Amino acid sequence: MTMVEYFSFLPYGKYAFYVWLAYGVSAITVIALFINAKRNHTRTVLSLKNKFSINQ
Amino acid sequence: MWKWIQRQASPKVFFETCSRLIPWFFWPFISLLLIGLYWSLVISPADYQQGDGYRIIFIHVPSAILSMMIYAIMAIAGGIGLIWQIKMAEVVAKVSAPIGAGFTIIALATGAIWGKPMWGAWWVWDARLTSELILLFLYLAYMSLNSAFDNPRTAAKSSSILAIVGLINLPIIHYSVKWWNTLHQGYSVGTGGLKDPDMQIALGIMFLASIFLYVLLVSIKARTEVLIREQNSRWVKEEVVGVEL
Repeated sequence: MTMVEYFSFLPYGKYAFYVWLAYGVSAITVIALFINAKRNHTRTVLSLKNKFSINQ
Repeated sequence: MWKWIQRQASPKVFFETCSRLIPWFFWPFISLLLIGLYWSLVISPADYQQGDGYRIIFIHVPSAILSMMIYAIMAIAGGIGLIWQIKMAEVVAKVSAPIGAGFTIIALATGAIWGKPMWGAWWVWDARLTSELILLFLYLAYMSLNSAFDNPRTAAKSSSILAIVGLINLPIIHYSVKWWNTLHQGYSVGTGGLKDPDMQIALGIMFLASIFLYVLLVSIKARTEVLIREQNSRWVKEEVVGVEL
């Protein structure tokens, strides 16, 4: 059984695998951009906090 | 308005503007995304040639347009940084690159996933596809060149020149479907494009959502970048010490 047949129970039948794969890949990319941005910010603030507390 | 723009050249003012922009772009982005997805996946009818497989277009086309628009913004912001020595323009250029690369990856990936059922191949060396792949390499080159210098000003100078030279790729991507006999279909927007009003509305909403997503990510990333660049100034110290994590 191919992936296309396996996922054909979802909406869009024979195109279901491709449509949902495309939307899934895009969602993962956007979420990754968000997580990366948030994590960078938290790390930067933490390291600056450390730097300032050492200098005091 | 002009005064307001001029004031953004100050790191502190720009940082505060970004902080204020985040909620104004986050909630509209979420709402537009939900409405857009509903319109794309439920309301829009199936295509008479491509069935339901065409629905990939609602993310493919906006992300492809954004991948080019962000590159143009990046190059223009880089140019403003070069000519007028405005550091905040350099910040905008720098943080735009990974976002643009993300949109390019989405455009390439969704295009490949659409190509498999429609053309029977994930990838062909078509003019449109190849020039978009070059755009991804330009983004990656810009990002690695920018991170290769310790001094952010030097990094911004050299990478901005790279971005401006790379601008030549944008018209090539745009006109590739006209200039060459490509396997990639013609324009999806305008004459010869989508004709069903529901499809047009769905595409329009998804495009708006992508723009809000871009501004939102720029505001988040620019705040981080400003903190790093201005870490020796007093306001950053006050800002950082006041933040609870």
